Amino acid sequence: MNAPLIEAVGLSKTFPGKGLFRKGKPVQAVKHIDASVARGEAVGVVGESGSGKSTLGRLMLGLMPVTEGSVRFDGKLMNEASRSEWRQLRKRMQIVFQDPYGSLDPRRRVGDQIADGMKIHRLLPAEQRRQRVAELLAKVGLDPSHAQRYPHEFSGGQRQRIGIARALSTGAEFLVADEPVSALDVSIQAQVIQLLSELRRDLGLAMLFISHDLPVVANLCDRVIVMYLGRVMEEGPAKHIFANPVHPYTRALLSATPMLDPEKRAKRILLQGDPPSPSNPPSGCVFRTRCAHARDACAEAVPELRPFGDGTARVACIRAEEII
Amino acid sequence: MKKLWLPGTIVGLIILVAILAPLLGLMDPVRQDIANRLAGPMNGSPLGRDEFGRDVFSRLIWGARTSLGVAFASALIAGVIGTAFGLIGGWFRGWGEIFTVRSMDIILCFPPVLLALLVVTLMGPGAGTLILVLSVLYLPGFARVTYAEVLSARSLDYVEAVRALGAPTWRILFRTVLPNVAGPVLVQLSLAVASAVVLESGLSFLGLGVVPPSPSWGLMIRGARATMEQAPMLLLWPCAALTLTILAMNLLCDGLRDAVDPRTPATRRRIRVVDRLLPGLLPAAAPQTEAVLDVRNLTVEIATPRGAIRPVQGVSLQVFAGETLAVVGESGSGKSVTATTVMGLMPPIAQAVEGQAWLGGRDLLRLTEPELRALRGGPMAMVFQDPMSSLNPVHTVGAQVVEAIQAHQKISSSDAWKQAEQLFKRVGIADPQKRLRVYPHEMSGGMRQRVMIAMAIANRPKLLICDEPTTALDVTVQAQILDLLNALKRETGMGMIFITHSLGVVSEIADRVAVMYAGQVVEQGSVAEVFGNPLHPYTRALLEAVPEGDEPPVGIPGIVPQPHAFPVGCRFAPRCRFATPACEAAPLPLEEIRAGREVRCIRWHELTPTEAAA
Amino acid sequence: MWWLLRRIGVSLALAWIVATIVFMTLHMVPGDPAEILLSTGGVAPDPAAVAELRERLGLEQPLLTQYGQFLLGLTRGDLGTSLVDEYPVLDEIALRLPRTLELIFAGTILAVIVAIPAGTWAALHRGGVFDRIASGTAAFLLAVPVFVVGTVLVLVFAQMLRIMPAGGYVPFAQNPGQHMTLLAMPAVAIAKGLAAVVFRMTRASVLDALSRDYVRTARAKGISPTRVLVRHVVRNALTPVLTVLGLHMGTLLGGTVLVEYVFNWPGMSTPLLRAVEARDYPMVVGIVLTISGLFLLINLIMDLLYAALDPRIRTA
Repeated sequence: MNAPLIEAVGLSKTFPGKGLFRKGKPVQAVKHIDASVARGEAVGVVGESGSGKSTLGRLMLGLMPVTEGSVRFDGKLMNEASRSEWRQLRKRMQIVFQDPYGSLDPRRRVGDQIADGMKIHRLLPAEQRRQRVAELLAKVGLDPSHAQRYPHEFSGGQRQRIGIARALSTGAEFLVADEPVSALDVSIQAQVIQLLSELRRDLGLAMLFISHDLPVVANLCDRVIVMYLGRVMEEGPAKHIFANPVHPYTRALLSATPMLDPEKRAKRILLQGDPPSPSNPPSGCVFRTRCAHARDACAEAVPELRPFGDGTARVACIRAEEII
Repeated sequence: MKKLWLPGTIVGLIILVAILAPLLGLMDPVRQDIANRLAGPMNGSPLGRDEFGRDVFSRLIWGARTSLGVAFASALIAGVIGTAFGLIGGWFRGWGEIFTVRSMDIILCFPPVLLALLVVTLMGPGAGTLILVLSVLYLPGFARVTYAEVLSARSLDYVEAVRALGAPTWRILFRTVLPNVAGPVLVQLSLAVASAVVLESGLSFLGLGVVPPSPSWGLMIRGARATMEQAPMLLLWPCAALTLTILAMNLLCDGLRDAVDPRTPATRRRIRVVDRLLPGLLPAAAPQTEAVLDVRNLTVEIATPRGAIRPVQGVSLQVFAGETLAVVGESGSGKSVTATTVMGLMPPIAQAVEGQAWLGGRDLLRLTEPELRALRGGPMAMVFQDPMSSLNPVHTVGAQVVEAIQAHQKISSSDAWKQAEQLFKRVGIADPQKRLRVYPHEMSGGMRQRVMIAMAIANRPKLLICDEPTTALDVTVQAQILDLLNALKRETGMGMIFITHSLGVVSEIADRVAVMYAGQVVEQGSVAEVFGNPLHPYTRALLEAVPEGDEPPVGIPGIVPQPHAFPVGCRFAPRCRFATPACEAAPLPLEEIRAGREVRCIRWHELTPTEAAA
Repeated sequence: MWWLLRRIGVSLALAWIVATIVFMTLHMVPGDPAEILLSTGGVAPDPAAVAELRERLGLEQPLLTQYGQFLLGLTRGDLGTSLVDEYPVLDEIALRLPRTLELIFAGTILAVIVAIPAGTWAALHRGGVFDRIASGTAAFLLAVPVFVVGTVLVLVFAQMLRIMPAGGYVPFAQNPGQHMTLLAMPAVAIAKGLAAVVFRMTRASVLDALSRDYVRTARAKGISPTRVLVRHVVRNALTPVLTVLGLHMGTLLGGTVLVEYVFNWPGMSTPLLRAVEARDYPMVVGIVLTISGLFLLINLIMDLLYAALDPRIRTA
C-alpha cells in the first residue's frame, strides 16, 4: 500500500456532559484511535450505535475539534493549518450523509447546491460551473437537466446521488461516507454502492466508509476497522476479517448478521444484554461485560491493538491466541 | 394558502387605512365641539360624536394609526434585535448564548402588563414609553424562536455539508441558516404585532398608555365607559374595531404558521351508509382451512387529497400454526398496510374494499369494532417497529403489560402482576420484579422490544404479527430478539407473520416467504425454494442486490412506483430486464404452479426452465 | 429529589434576579430618579421636594448600600412605605392579595373545567359541528381583549339587562351569595382568554396523542376505547396543556389588573394604578415584586405537576 493520504494518530473525542447547573457525565465517543486511508483505498468502519464511528469520520474531516491526537492530510498536520491552508484542505475532503432527506437544503435548486463548493472556492467562471454541474450529475447517473429541480422532486436514492455529486464538486480526494446506504431500500442500496465503488475506481478516491452492515463493508472496502464503545477491537483486510474474525466482538457481530445463506453464517454467538453507555464504559477491555471469554485480567488494563497471527490483522484482545 | 387570503386582505386594508389616514379628508380627530356632545350620526360624522363632541369615525381611523404604529414599531425593533441575539446565541453557543438568549428569559419572569406599569411609573405615559416597553417585552420571543431554529439548523446535514465545503461563517448564517429561520420569525412578528395591539389598548384603557387627547382605541373605550348609559354605541365601535383587527391578525398568524410548518391535514373520509353495510350484506362462507389466518384477495383503499389509492391489491396469505410466514418487500410494497388492516388498526381513511381475512372462522374485515377489540391482544397480537414510541412514556412497563392481561382475562390485579412477572421472565428480562416498575425511557431498545413481545404474548395469541420488530435495533440485539421469537413460536405453536425488508432476516426466521412489490404478492413459497430458485425477476433482482459474498451487489434500476401511478400490467415491468410489451398490457394473475408455490409473471416458464420442467 | 431541590433553587435565583432588575430600573433611567419621579409635563420640580424624595428613597447612599438594604428589606418582608400616605406597602398588599388570588383561582378553574373537556371532544370529532363552533368561538375569544369583554359584560348584563351588578366587592363572610354574584362576571372575563388558549392546546395535543404509536399499541391490546382515551390519550395530552397554562399565567396576571379595574374589584390593581399615576415608586415596586413572585411560584407549581405527570422529567 502506498503512503496514506490521511492519517489519524491517537485520536480521542470527549463530549462534555450536558446541562448548565449540573454537569452530566462526559461521554467518551472516541478513544485513542489510529486510522489511515491511502489514495484509492476504501476503509470501512464498522460498529453498532454508540461505537463512535460517525464521530471518527467527522474528526478526520476536521468538522469538530479533536480532544486529543492529530490528523495529517497529505503530510500536513490539520490542527496546525492556517486559515488559508484550511480553505485549501476543505476542497480536498468531503462527506456524504446518511439521511437523504436532511442532507439537501429543501429551499434551493440542486444545481445551486452542487455549485456551492465551486462558488465558495472560486473554482470556475460561472458559465463553466454550470457545465461542471451537468457533468457531475451525469457522473452520478442523473440527468443534467435535473439541476433546475428542487430536492423534493427526487427519490431517496436520487438524493443520495446528488449528495455525492456535491461532495465531488470541488475535486475531493478523500470522502467520508457516513452510512450512505442504510436509509435506502435494498434495490436502491445496491445502486449507490455500485456508484461509490465506480467513483473510487475512476477517480482514485480515498474513502472512509462508515456502516453498521458488515457484508456491505466486506464487499466494498479493502480494509476494515471494527469499533466498539469508542475503541478499535480489530482491524485488517476486509475479506480476511470477514472470513477469519478473531476478536470475540467481531465474531459475535458477524454471527449476528443475518445472511441469505444460513450455511455461510458461523454458529450464532448470542451476546448478552446491550452495549454499556459510552458515558460509563467498563474498565480495561470495554467489551468484557458482554464477552463470553472475559477473565479478571480483562478488567485490569486496556488491551493493546497488536498484530495477530501472520500479522495481516491487528486485534485488541489479550486472549486472542487462546480462544481462536 | 387559502387560509391566508381573507385575514391577509383585512389586515392589509386596516394597515392601508391607517397609513392613508391624513389623506382621507377626515375631520380633525382631536377638535372638540361641546355643542354636539354625544350627538348621533350626522353630516360628516357617520358614527356620531363622542363625549367631547369629537368625530368618532375619524378617531377610529386615527386610532388605528396609533395602535398599529406603536405595535409595528415595537415588533420590528424587537424582531431585529431579538433575531440577531438568537442567531448569535444559537450559532456561537457558550457565553454568547448566556448573554443573548438566557438573559432574555428573565424578562419572561415578569407578567407583561406589570413590567409595563413599572416603566410607566418611572418614565410617565406616552407612545415612546410604550414602544420601549413593548420592544423589550417581545425580545425574548424572537431570541428564543431564532435560537431554537438555529440550533436545529446547526445539526442539519445540509448545513454541515456547506461547512464541509469550507463556507465561511457569515455565508452559512445568511445563506443557509437565516432562510430556515425566516418563516418562524415572520410568524413571531405577526404574533408580536397582534399582542402589542392588545397591550397598547389595554394600557391606554387604564389611562397609562397613549396620552389624551390623541386618538387611541383603548382611550376611546375608556372615555365611552363613562357615558355607557347614554351612548352605548360609542363603546361598541372601538371595541369592534379592536376585536376585528386582532381577530384578523390572529387568523393571519395561524395561516402563516401552517404555511411555514406544513403538515398535510388528513382528509376525512365520509363513510356512506352503503359502504358500512355492503360488506356485511354479503358474508362469504367460512372456508375449510387449517390456517390460523387466511387472507383472501385483500384490497385496501385509502382516501388521499389526490384521490383514492390502493396500496394493497388482491393480496392472499395463509399462516399455519407453528410456522412463520415472512412478508418481505421494499418501502411502498404494502406489507405493513396489509398487516395493520388485518388487525383493524388502520385509520378510518383506509378501508378494506375487497377480500376476507379469516381468523378462527370469523372474517376480521366484517367484524364490528367491539368484536375486533375482543380479538386484538387476545387471539391475535402485534409487535411494532419502534419500541420507544410504541410504549406509553408516562406509565411503567409493568402497568402496560398488566393492562394487556386484564383486557382479556378477568383476574385480580395482584394475579395480573404475577403473570406479568412470569412473562418478563419468559422474554428474558433479568430481575423482572424490579423491571416491571421501570418506565420505558429507563430501558434500552432491546429491553423495550422484549416488553412489547411480553405484552403481545400475554394472552397466548394464535397469531402474532411482527412488523419490522428489529429494524430499529443493533445487529447483536436483533439476533437476541429473533432468537426469542423463534423460541416462543416453537413453544406456543402460534402462527407468526414477520414483516421485514431484510432478506437476511427472512432466511433467519421464516419457513415460508411472500415477496411483495407495489401492493401485490409477486412470489410465494418456502424460503428454501424462493431464495434457492427464485421464479420472479423481482425476487431474483432483490437477491442479487444483497451485498453478500464476493460479488458486488447489483442494483435494480429505477424506483418503486407510487400508489398513484401503479402500472396497468406487471407492476415491476418498467424496471425488469426481461419485460416484453405483453407484460405491460394487462394485469397479471398470481399463478399457483403447485401447492404453496405462487408467482405473478407471465414469463417464468421461459426464464426458469428447470422449474418449468419439474 | 435532587431534581426538586434544583428546581426550587432555580426559582429562588430567578426571584433574586427579578428583584435586582426591579431595583435597577430606578437607577437605569437617565437623570436623577427623584427629579424624574416628581416632574410632570416638563415642569421642573421644586428642589426641596427633590431633596426630600432623595432622602426618602435613600438615594444619597452608595448604590451597593442601597441594594444591600433593599435585599435585606425583602428578606424581612419590609417593602417600605407609600410615598403618598406613608402606609406600609406590605400591609396594603396583605389586605389586597387574597382578593386577587381568589379572582385568579376562580378564573383558572373555570377555564380549565370548560376548556379541557371541550378541547378533547373537539379533537375526537375533528371537523364536526362542535369542533367548528368551538374552534371558531376560541379564535374569537382569543381576539377580544380582556377589558373589552369586561366592559361589554357590564354594558349588557348590568346596564341593559340589569340582571347583574356592574361591579364591586362584598366580603364572603358578610354575604356569601352577594360575594359569589359579584365574583361571577370578573371570573368569566379572566377565564375567557385562558379558556381559549387551553382549548386550542388541548385539541392540538389530543390530536397529536391520537396519532402516536403507543395509542396504536393500546388499541392492539384490545382495551376499551374509554380506557385508551383516558389512560393513553388524555393523560399524555395533559403535559403540553400544563406548559401552556404556566406560560399563559403571565398574561392572566396582567389581565387581572384590567379586570379588577373594570369591575371595581378591590384587589391589587387599585393601589397599583393609583400608585403608578401618583408615581408612588415604593408601592409600585412592592406590588410588581409580589405579582412577579406569584408568577414564579405558579410556574414552579406547574413544573412540579409536570414532573408528576411525566416520569421522563424526574430522571432526566
